[in-house]
Amino acid sequence: MRTSLKIGISGVRGIVGESLTPKLCTSLAQAFGTYLGGGLVVVGRDSRTSGEMVKGAVLAGLLSVGCRPLDIGISPTPTVMIYAREARACGAVTITASHNPSEWNGLKFINSEGLFLNSAQVQEFLDIYHQGEFSLVGVDACKPVINDDKPSLPHFRKLFSYLDVAAIRKRRFKVVVDCCNGAGAIMSARFLETLGCQAVPINNIPDGAFAHPPEPLPENITELCRCVVSEKADVGFVQDADADRLAVVNEHGEPLGEDMTLIIAVQHILARRPGTVVTNLSASRAIDDVARQYNVPVVRTRTGEINVVERMCALGGQVALGGEGNGGVIIPAIHPCRDSFTAMGVILETMASREMGISRIASMAPGYCLVKRKIPGSREQASRLVRLLKKNYEGKASLNSEDGLKMEYPDHWIHIRSSNTEPVIRVLVEAGTKEEAESALEAFLSEIEELKSWK
Amino acid sequence: MQLLKISISGVRGIVGQTITPELVLNFASAFGTWLGEGPVLIGRDTRPSGPMLHQACLSALLSTGCDVIDLGICPTPILQFTVSHHKARGGISISAGHNGKDWNALTFINSDGTYLNSFQGEEVLDLYHLEKFNSVSVEKLGKTGHIADYLKEYFDTLCSFVDVNSIRKAGLLIVVDCCNGAGAEIIEEFGKCLGCQVIAINNEQNGYFPHDPEPCVRNGQQVSSVMEVLKADAGFLTNSDVSRISLIASKDQAMSEEFTFPLITQAYLERKKGPVVTNVMTSSMVDEVARKMNCPLFRTRVGQSHVIETMLLEDAVIAGEGSGGVAIPEFQPAFDGFLSMAIVLEAMALGASLGELAESLPLRHLVKEQVGCSLPRIYSLVNEIKKLYPGEWHETSDGIRLETGTGWIHLRASATEPLVRVYVEDASRETARERAEQIIRYFPYW
Repeated sequence: MRTSLKIGISGVRGIVGESLTPKLCTSLAQAFGTYLGGGLVVVGRDSRTSGEMVKGAVLAGLLSVGCRPLDIGISPTPTVMIYAREARACGAVTITASHNPSEWNGLKFINSEGLFLNSAQVQEFLDIYHQGEFSLVGVDACKPVINDDKPSLPHFRKLFSYLDVAAIRKRRFKVVVDCCNGAGAIMSARFLETLGCQAVPINNIPDGAFAHPPEPLPENITELCRCVVSEKADVGFVQDADADRLAVVNEHGEPLGEDMTLIIAVQHILARRPGTVVTNLSASRAIDDVARQYNVPVVRTRTGEINVVERMCALGGQVALGGEGNGGVIIPAIHPCRDSFTAMGVILETMASREMGISRIASMAPGYCLVKRKIPGSREQASRLVRLLKKNYEGKASLNSEDGLKMEYPDHWIHIRSSNTEPVIRVLVEAGTKEEAESALEAFLSEIEELKSWK
Repeated sequence: MQLLKISISGVRGIVGQTITPELVLNFASAFGTWLGEGPVLIGRDTRPSGPMLHQACLSALLSTGCDVIDLGICPTPILQFTVSHHKARGGISISAGHNGKDWNALTFINSDGTYLNSFQGEEVLDLYHLEKFNSVSVEKLGKTGHIADYLKEYFDTLCSFVDVNSIRKAGLLIVVDCCNGAGAEIIEEFGKCLGCQVIAINNEQNGYFPHDPEPCVRNGQQVSSVMEVLKADAGFLTNSDVSRISLIASKDQAMSEEFTFPLITQAYLERKKGPVVTNVMTSSMVDEVARKMNCPLFRTRVGQSHVIETMLLEDAVIAGEGSGGVAIPEFQPAFDGFLSMAIVLEAMALGASLGELAESLPLRHLVKEQVGCSLPRIYSLVNEIKKLYPGEWHETSDGIRLETGTGWIHLRASATEPLVRVYVEDASRETARERAEQIIRYFPYW
């Protein structure tokens, strides 16, 4: 069955007016507050128009179980996470549906270290939610809501102490940034200006009126591409609605593809300080190639930010960076979370230190092409399909079934998995060239179309 | 015992027990669904539980597609005034009035700025019970907004309603105890507008109640002590949302909250004659005042919504209750503590001291007792008393009543708490007290 409600490891997402009701949000917040046992809880949101409604319900839920909510208003997800840790909060809630369309919204739950709840913590928290027994407090334990209208400060402190600000400032880059009227709009221009860039922000009003679908795919960012050319900018950046992911447009107005963000970051960070790279199964083979140059291992995990982050935390100091192919760069020295500001900073830093244009930097990366497709399908359908495929491909390819099914060949790979956030099945194919990848994808899609019995 | 009281004008209970965010969401969603569209004004008193109810109301109203204008901490009469002044569709007041700090309540206000009447209230309750709420899609969600100058608009209108020049000229010094409720801090604005010097005590909007926020004699000691030192002209106590007040003339002249309504009625009928409305349990002092002025008097069930409904129906010029709430429809159809204070000050400015105004009323002694009682037993218990205590009891619209010749006895189950209220009035205080004690002895468990 397809539903418009997703409760899982990435938090809760639903469609406003259908599945994401005030009552659901309040109950979840009560469960979360009960799980934390009260205390300071940071609450931030992206710019969606449903944000106020959801926030009211979350604040009411937290207050009812004796938490002291600290409302930081519209804030990027990484900003909320860093704020939570720096404020020594017991936890945080960020209200976002990330890259989903505007009718969606959701909640993500963050622990006292500023990390998303891991799968075990999510289990415990959902257990409380399902039991429905929340520790309601009487009037003597009722707390007020506190507000902070400068939520970006802790995040900026972290970024600017990590980045080589002087080197970037020297270059006076001209940068077009498309905030998609999302949460990034509260601080992206300021961030770039502090780095000495001439910032040209577009879609820079955080009112949730998404100028294009908030997923930073090439087809959604034509305005940015045009603007980079007309402004004669050095680079263009586009954030998703909660500013944890970043895609890059080169100085000719050509999108580099979301997966290139991480590849460039890996090249740069390993040159700065070699160390283990942690990424998910769907990220490009280019990462393995780069890591091989520096003789460092690449550790692969299931898809989902928390899976990557958990492995990073487990491996500790040996990790240089982590990330996902969807434009999520994670640098533990800043904060173990996907962060579009980290990604922007690192890309500007590499442009500054290598003294090259972004198109040249991208062209020097190992050449692969990743193509992605979404097909409608529930989790159950996905698992039926994966079982069928596993049988069919036994012995024909090297198989990895940690997360859906990944079929690896010497010259390409195919990864099929159920989405954590939407009722779709994702198919990813990577090959040496766009043509090879497209033809492998088409062949694979028509193959599963013929299988039928999984539907 | 689960203390939850659902009435036509709203819902009242103990926070953390019966007042949960889920209940608040359901009621506010029902109200938002009933209104169909906004804007809806929300305001609250200073209770520590206020933010929780406030956020739940905000979320629920937005989810039903109503725009919300948030007045923050705001006395209920000012919220009601602003609803009608700005032609909003309705309002929710988050305040438990005189109840202790553990309580909180939602009161629903219609576009006229009055509590929902019985028909409207029943419709909202039907929606609540059905749990069929508007759940709009994202493009129809309500938006939040603000009104900047609502306090000034209110006080300007209030000043133009009373004889502000006389009040200013009189140069009165008053002491007001807002019990750290919604009237705190705002009361200074009131004094400035009317040109009297206000000494405000318990004047922080922090929700810490130094005493029960009930305007009555036992809570007036702080005010009367300050008055004595400062030789102040009048003292006032307000409840937590400034819908009700009690008056203090001096330390030696104890004046119960029952004086508020007849005193203001006497002053106001001088200015405008017409029908007077009160509830069945209010002191007969007001009957005497109305009779003296040749004005008809109507009695209703207890509670602001009933009194106001009848006031509008009978085209009355004033309505009020013995608990200290007074409404003058020409100003606004709502119990309004600020207006009440202003009318008292106006009467004083014309030359009489508050003590003299009180002495000009026909004195009656009303003894108010209450007996705790479990809710399921409450109605049968009242009926048992009727059989045990000799006399010609008759049913009223709200509880039972016995006329004693020199006064009356009235028994009624409370609408807001699990209590039976026993009110006995007589020309003699001793007789009233004796009778009340007699009645209480009939209660089986005490």
